Amino acid sequence: MIGTLKLLIPALLPSWRFFDTIGPSPRIQFTVLSSESETPSQWQEFRPRPATLSLAQMLRRMLWNPSWNESLFLTSCAERLCQQPTPHSEDEILKRIRKGLLTENSQHSIGDATYLQFRLVLVKRDSAHPQQVSFQSRIEPLRSRA
Amino acid sequence: MSFDEAVRLTEILLGFAFAQQSIEHVRSYANEMRLHLPRLFLSVLLMVGFHSAWVLVLLLVLGLAMLHRYQGPYNGGADRMSLLVLVCLCAVHFAPSLRWQEVAFGYLAIQLTLSYFIAGWVKVVNHDWRTGQALRDVFQFSAYPVSESLRQWAKSPRMMLAMSWSVILFELLFPFSLVSSLSSIIALAIAASFHFSNACLFGLNRFFWIWIAAYPSLLWFQQRVFAVTL
Repeated sequence: MIGTLKLLIPALLPSWRFFDTIGPSPRIQFTVLSSESETPSQWQEFRPRPATLSLAQMLRRMLWNPSWNESLFLTSCAERLCQQPTPHSEDEILKRIRKGLLTENSQHSIGDATYLQFRLVLVKRDSAHPQQVSFQSRIEPLRSRA
Repeated sequence: MSFDEAVRLTEILLGFAFAQQSIEHVRSYANEMRLHLPRLFLSVLLMVGFHSAWVLVLLLVLGLAMLHRYQGPYNGGADRMSLLVLVCLCAVHFAPSLRWQEVAFGYLAIQLTLSYFIAGWVKVVNHDWRTGQALRDVFQFSAYPVSESLRQWAKSPRMMLAMSWSVILFELLFPFSLVSSLSSIIALAIAASFHFSNACLFGLNRFFWIWIAAYPSLLWFQQRVFAVTL
C-alpha cells in the first residue's frame, strides 16, 4: 500500500520534464525456440511500426489506439528493465509478446516453436555503435499461459 | 466561466477521457478488465453527474489499484495528469469551504500552466533542443513516431529547428496568456492543437483528451485571479 502511495506522489507533484533529454531508446526483439537449450539466432522486432499511416488512420487512433498504447507501456517496462530490472517488467513484456504471437491475426510467424525469449536493444545517436543489447530475458514456454 | 460550471465541465471531460482509456482495454487480460470495466461504468456516471463526489472517490481507488497493477503509470504523463485531475476534483468535493475548494481547483490550473512552462524551460536550457538536434533524435530513433515514413522528418534540420523553437516559445510564453480571457482561450486552442499533433505523430491520444479535461480549471482561474487583480 505504501509503495502504491509512493507511486501517486509524482502525479500530485509532477515534474513536467517532458523530453528534457533524448536518451537511448529501447527496442524489444524476440526469438522463438524449439527447445530451452537452443541458441537464439533470429531476432525479430516486436510490433514493428507500419511504413506509413494515413491521416484517416491517425484520426481513428484519437479514439481507438489500444495496440500503440500497449506498445508505449512496453517501452516503459523496457526502460524500467534497463534502469532497475524487476520481475514485473520482464513478466509484462513476455506475457504481451506471447499473446501477440498466439493471436490469429499475428504478423509474426512462430511455426512449431515452443519457447520464447526477448532482448532489449538500445538505439542511440552514436553512429559508431548505434545499437547495443542491454537485457536478455529468461526463456519461457510459449503456450503455458496463453 | 463560473466555478461550478468549470468543475462540472471538468468532470464531464474527465469522464470522457477515462471512458476512452478504458474502452481500449475491453479485449485485454482478465485482471485488467476487472479494473477497466468498473472504471468505464463509473466514467459514464461521472459524465451524467450521478453522485459525482463518491464516483470520484471510487475512480481514485481504481486509479491507485491501476498504479499497483502496472507498478507505475500505464501511459506515463497522461496517467499522471489523470490522477492529478482526479485528486483535485475529489478535494473540491470534500473541501470544508468554498475557499479550500477554490484552492484545490486552482492547484490544478497552476499545475496545468507549469506543465507547459517547465516543459519549455527544460528544453530551452538544453543545447540539443536549441539547435533542433533533440527533436531530430525524437524522429530518428525514439520509440514515438507512429510510422517509418515519419522518421524521414529527421532529415530536414531546418524544419526540426523551426518546430523546436515553436514548441519552446509557445511553452515558455504560455503563462503570459493568463493576462486576459481572450489570450487564455487562444493559448489553450494552440495547446490543444499541439496535443492533437502529438497524438497524430506520436500516438499520444490519451494526452490530448486528459489535458483538455484540465482546461476549464484554467479558464476559471484566469477570471478568478486576473480579472480581479488587473
